[in-house]
Parts: sequence; structure tokens; C-alpha cells
Amino acid sequence: MTRVSPGALRLLALVLVLLLVGAFFASQIENYLNARLFNRISSSVAIVALIACAQTLVILTRNIDLSLGAVVGFTAYGTGALVTAVPDLHPALLALAALGIGAGFGLVNGLLVAYAGVPSIIVTLATMAIFRSALVEFSDAQSITTDSLPDWLVAFPNLQLFAIGGVQFRAAFVAAVVIVIFVHLALTRLRPARALYAVGSNPEAAEMAGIDVRRTVLAAFVAAGALAGLAGLFFLARFGNITVVAGLGFELKSIAAAVLGGVNIFGGAGTVVGALIGAILVDLIENSLVRWDLVSEFWREAVLGLLILSAVTGDALLMRRLQRLRIRRDKAAAPVPKEATP
Amino acid sequence: MAAPVLALRDVSKSFGATRALSGMTLELWPGEVHAVVGENGAGKSTMIKIMTGVHAPSTGGVEVDGRPVTLSGPREARAKGVSAIYQEPMVFPDLDVAENIFISATDLGLVQRRGLLRERARELIARIGMSLDPDRVASGLTLAEQQAVEIARALSQDVRVLIMDEPTASLSAHEAGELRRIARGLAAEGVAVVYISHRLEEIFEVAHRVTVIRDGSHISTRPIAEVTPERMIAEMVGREVGNYFRKDESHATPEVLLSVRGLGVEDAFEGVSFDIHRGEVLCLAGLIGARRTDVALSLFGIRPATAGRVLWKGQEVRIGSPRAAMALGIAYVSEDRRKLGLALPLSIRSNVTLATLGKVLTRWGLMRERAERAVTQGYRERLNIRMADADTPVGKLSGGNQQKVMLAKWLETNPQLLIFDEPTRGIDVGAKAEVHDLIRQFVRQGGAALVISSDLPEVLALGDRILVMREGRQMGVIPHEAATQEGVMRLATGQDRDAA
Repeated sequence: MTRVSPGALRLLALVLVLLLVGAFFASQIENYLNARLFNRISSSVAIVALIACAQTLVILTRNIDLSLGAVVGFTAYGTGALVTAVPDLHPALLALAALGIGAGFGLVNGLLVAYAGVPSIIVTLATMAIFRSALVEFSDAQSITTDSLPDWLVAFPNLQLFAIGGVQFRAAFVAAVVIVIFVHLALTRLRPARALYAVGSNPEAAEMAGIDVRRTVLAAFVAAGALAGLAGLFFLARFGNITVVAGLGFELKSIAAAVLGGVNIFGGAGTVVGALIGAILVDLIENSLVRWDLVSEFWREAVLGLLILSAVTGDALLMRRLQRLRIRRDKAAAPVPKEATP
Repeated sequence: MAAPVLALRDVSKSFGATRALSGMTLELWPGEVHAVVGENGAGKSTMIKIMTGVHAPSTGGVEVDGRPVTLSGPREARAKGVSAIYQEPMVFPDLDVAENIFISATDLGLVQRRGLLRERARELIARIGMSLDPDRVASGLTLAEQQAVEIARALSQDVRVLIMDEPTASLSAHEAGELRRIARGLAAEGVAVVYISHRLEEIFEVAHRVTVIRDGSHISTRPIAEVTPERMIAEMVGREVGNYFRKDESHATPEVLLSVRGLGVEDAFEGVSFDIHRGEVLCLAGLIGARRTDVALSLFGIRPATAGRVLWKGQEVRIGSPRAAMALGIAYVSEDRRKLGLALPLSIRSNVTLATLGKVLTRWGLMRERAERAVTQGYRERLNIRMADADTPVGKLSGGNQQKVMLAKWLETNPQLLIFDEPTRGIDVGAKAEVHDLIRQFVRQGGAALVISSDLPEVLALGDRILVMREGRQMGVIPHEAATQEGVMRLATGQDRDAA
């Protein structure tokens, strides 16, 4: 007997939604389905996938990170400034710097959430503002411009690794997908990573099982920060011109992608592959809305919000129904009567 | 030569001013099932928490293999071979059976090998004589299966002392039998099993030795063969009844206020039938898991009844929501003051008027602060609430005074039936007597009270009649004249069943 796990079913449903959305826009927008669509979306997915992956790590532990957008912005600017100052910096060192800056911000969030016991929504709401202001201060409200960046960095996002027909697989996209797959394997195959799921699934039981809950939560925030840092570097490479508003709104996008991808907002369940597909969906819709005359640009954010709402609501309703079904099935399966009193 | 695998030596534990354990001594030997019995609040939970390292003893010490140890937390207790399973199992609903079992294993390497995990999970499950698919997700397991997972988890870590806290309270008879068999089997393998249960008959079936504790103190430890149920019950309840619990004469009138027939809530309780007269106090007695609170919740409309009939002043009614209950004149003073009863950061006066906001105290939709203060002042005098002023946050008051504020809130709704759930838990003796007086005063003025209490002297002092429940069933109703602590306890533990 083959059983399709609920997780796999959800991914399948998500892919179906992705196809349906694509088909819908194809019927609305002329000359929609072509290689350029893929190329455009893949460039932006490279960034969103990383922060969705980061957000997933945090959400798994029953937390949330609203500061991810600010971290992306700060790292984009920071690495830009670094590479402007030291143009010969080795790419690997630059990537390391991006990871390090992000991890540093994650460490601040994680320490406050895990060890000071402040709810993550408050901590990261505050650090979102603080990190952003720090960026303004640090940058002196100056922008980084493409001219000041080394050529290899500017070329990186459009660097074509291979192509199938007109569909180009560019370096940033491939790198992001590889990272997501890597994180996915780590989450499913590494035993310590199970602690993430355990903590989100039942914190009290995790404590009783001897899992260091606080360290686990801290680790999730640090890893998320590092991934957001990397996303910041990708952001720098893609746009070149970095202002103080870089990465604004990414926190919303990352949550939308994760939740659409089936990550349970109450923790304990979800995959980063789901978040990746969620990220693709978010970007597909966003990119398509730009080209769809019917929706004004002011409504695009609202559409994103609507998506989050419908995903979470649908999920909650579905789960409740499944639970009821299961209770009924359990009853049918256990005919042993409750203890008869003598 | 040999030393007990785990021992408590003269352990005391206080929380603030409350003393939960005093001078507790307990020795656990390999290969024994050691039952621990005591009333609700006797200190069993605190004792478990000390043995599993959740709490540190205030004085006294814990020994493992005869050597004093300090258990810094559950992790260290587990490392020393002490694990506990609870009535509500601690599983991870999103992980599968195998992952649940090996969640804290350290010897399985960094990379998870599914095959190995699955195989070892099967072995452990087979060792306790169960069959469970290691790939099943834990959220779909029955309670009994979840407990099996927890036992297997303990076994995976070379458990030496396994504490089972009310493990069978939510299980069916068949499942409970299986669990007792597992407990015996583990003892035969050399594990020391601590078995805590309210079901006396199963203690006689499973235990080698039994320890009775009462009011945080050790009363006796004996081989099971030397104990009778009567003696055990006598030791469990055998405290002296303080003379402040004085039963005055009944004020019950012939007028039936509420009448309940065959009341039931799916998965909670069934077949509960009683009448409450005006002027009467009916007490609901029973042990933890008797589902008394569920009866209260259904009468107050929080979990509406799924079976049976409710008659209010002779009229059949359906109580589908707290609003409906309040409209009839029913109020529920909940056990959990912090969670369900009071808004702790709010002022006393805001709490007093919380349930009646829309009714009297507003004019053109605005709060009338002066009226609110007057109302609060009235209750302050009537209930003897000790407070600095009406603007003090309720969270700053003592437990007894918080209870009175909650009572004031419900009295303000002008109820005819007041349901009290553990009205005096955690409050001091003086305040206890005052709360009792208030309940009596309320029924003397024509109201009726349904009082859920685990405190037997309180039940005997207050109740005109005592309805005893056990595991969701009504075991009998005892009139006050015929009630004794032992009689109530026999019904509550299933040693006896009334003809009712």
C-alpha cells in the first residue's frame, strides 16, 4: 500500500496552484508564456527563495522574524561598501562577509528571543526598525551604485550556467536552488536538525526530552540571519544600486512564501522546498500583476496579503476537518468500550 | 551492599509560603513496581518533579545508587536513567513514531539513517509487547499508543527508574491492562517503576510496594500484601478535620431550581442526573479525571451537553453558550482564576463589573465610574475584600481576595445558581472559612450552589448532598447525614458503588 504523506500532498497541491495561476495569467496577458518570463522570475526568486528558506527555519520553532528585510537591506549595503572599498576582495570572502553580517543580526534576535524570553514578534519588529535605522546611519543616506562594483559581481546574476531552449539557468537562481536543497537535506537528514521540528511541535516535551530549546531557537535565528545576509549579497549583485530602502517589504514576502509553501505558522511542520515553491508562486504573481492592466500597482501588496490570508485560512479549515476525520476513524478502529465499572 | 537506585532523603519543598513537601523519604529498588497514592494535592506531582530534576528540593537530598546527586533538569535526570511519563503524553505531534522515540538519542550519529531508526524503533516497541508502525505520524496515535512511544523513548535511553504519573487515567480498560503488563514487564527487567494512580484496584494488581503520602508528608510504605484498601484510604484521608469547617443546618427548600437527567458530553462524561433545590448546596466530589469540571462547563454552556435533558425551574432548556447560561441566572466561578476568571492587570473595579458591563453601569454607552466604584465598595464591605483601593490591579491581591473579587463579579450578575469550581484551592484557611460563609449566605438568600471540590473536609462541611463522580460516571449521591470521608473516597476510587 502506498501512502502519500500529507506533506507530499500539499506540495503537489501547491504545484497545481502554480500551474493554474500560470494558466490564468496566460489567458489574460498576451505573449505571456515564454522563456523571458522564466528568466525574469528566476532572477527574483533567487533572492526571495533564500529569505523564504530563512523564514521557514524560524517559523519551524514557533517564532517569526520580521527583521529579515532589514537584514537583506543592511547586508546589501554593507557588502557593497566593503567591495567598493576593497575591489580585489575574493568572492568567497565577500560571501563569507555577507553570511557573517546576517548571522550577527540573527544572533541579536536569537539571544533576545531565546534567552531574554521576549516574544519574537516584538523583538524582530523592534530590530526591523533598528537595523533599518542603523543602515541609514551607516550609509549616511548615500547609495551604492553599480559603477563602483566589480564586474564579476554585476555579471553574476545574469551569468548563464546552462540553457534549455531559450530558458536560461542563471548562476544566482541555480545557487539559491542548490542552497535550498542543501538546507532541505540537512533538515530531513541531520539528526540535530530534528530538534527544530521538535521544539516547534511541542516545546514542553522538547524540554523534557532533554533538548536545549533555547539553543535551538538561537540557532534558527542565526541561520536565518546568515541566509538573509546571503540574500542581501544577491540583492546587491542583481540591482547594483542600493539605497536605504533596499529589501523593504521582504519580511512580508518571506512569510507569504513560507506560509503558502505549507509551513505551519504555529511551528513544527513544513519544508524549505515548500517554501521555495511558495517563493516562486509569490514572484510569479507579483511579476504577472505588473503586466496585468486590470490591477493597479497599489493593489499588488493587497494581493499578497490576500494570498497569505487564504493560505492560512484554508490550511486551518483543512486541518480542523482532517482532525475530525481522524478522531472518527480512531473511534471506529477502537471498539474497546470505556472501562465498565463493576 | 546494595543501595536503592533512587532515593529521596528527607526532602522538603516550598513554593513561597506554601509547603508542598515536608520530610519526604522514598527508596526505589531495581525490579519493583512502587505505587504512590495520595489525595489530590498531597504532593505527588511535586515529588515527581524533584525526582525528574524539574524542581530542586528546598532541603534534603536526592541519591542515585546511594550517592548524593544534584539533578539540574530533566536532561540530567534522563542521563542518570530517570524518566517520567504522564497522563498526557509528551510526544511531538509532527514527527513520526521512530523520530519521537529517538529524539534525544545521542548515539545515532549526525546523519539520520531511516532504516536503522525504523529497525531499532521496532525492536523497542516489540520489547514492550506492542505493535506500532514506526513511520506513523504521532498526531494520529491514540493516547495509549503515545504512551507506548514515550515508554520506548525511555527504554532507548537505558531507563533505570520509570515514573508513571496517572498513566491509565485516560485509557480504556483494555489499554490500562496492557499498560500494567508493560509496567510489570519492565520491573522484571530490573527497572524501578514508580506507579502513581487513583485506581486502587489496579494498584493491588500491579504494585509490589505502596507508599501513602498525605499533605506533603510520607505516611507509610508497605509491601502490597500487608495493605488493605480500607487501610490505604484511611491513611490517605486521615487528617484531622479542622473545627472551622462547621456544617450548619440545611436551608434547602422543596423548590427544584435545576434538574438534570442523563446529562453527558461526548468523550467526557455521561449519565449524570441530579436536582438542585433553592437554598441547597450540592457538592461534586471525585478525584482528578472524574470529569467534574466538564459537568460544570456543560451547565455553563462552554461545552454544551451532547446527551440528556436540563430543566430550569421545570422548563426544559438548552444551554448552548455562557450567554444563555447567564440569561437563565447561572454563573460559573472557575477554578483557574488566572486563566478563566480574572483579568489580572485590570483594576478591582473593572473586574467586578466585567460580566455586567452592558447592563447598569453605562449611560449613553459611557462607563459611569462613580456607579462602578459604588458597586465595588458594596462588595468590598459585603465580602470583606482587603484592598488598598478599587483601582489596584487584581493581580496584586492575595489568592483569597482574588477569589472574592471573582465572586463579586458573578454575584453582580444576580445569579440564582452559582457553580463553584474548587473555590478554595490555594487560599489560606481564614479566607477559606470566609468563602464558605459566603456560599452559605448565598443559598440562605434563596440561591443554589453547585460546588466542585477535591477537599474532602470542605465537601463534608458544605454539601447538603454530595454527588461522587469517577471517570465520567456518577457513582452515587450521599446525603450529608450519611457522608463520611471514607465513604466518599470509596466511591471516588471505585471501591464501592451506590445503588443510585
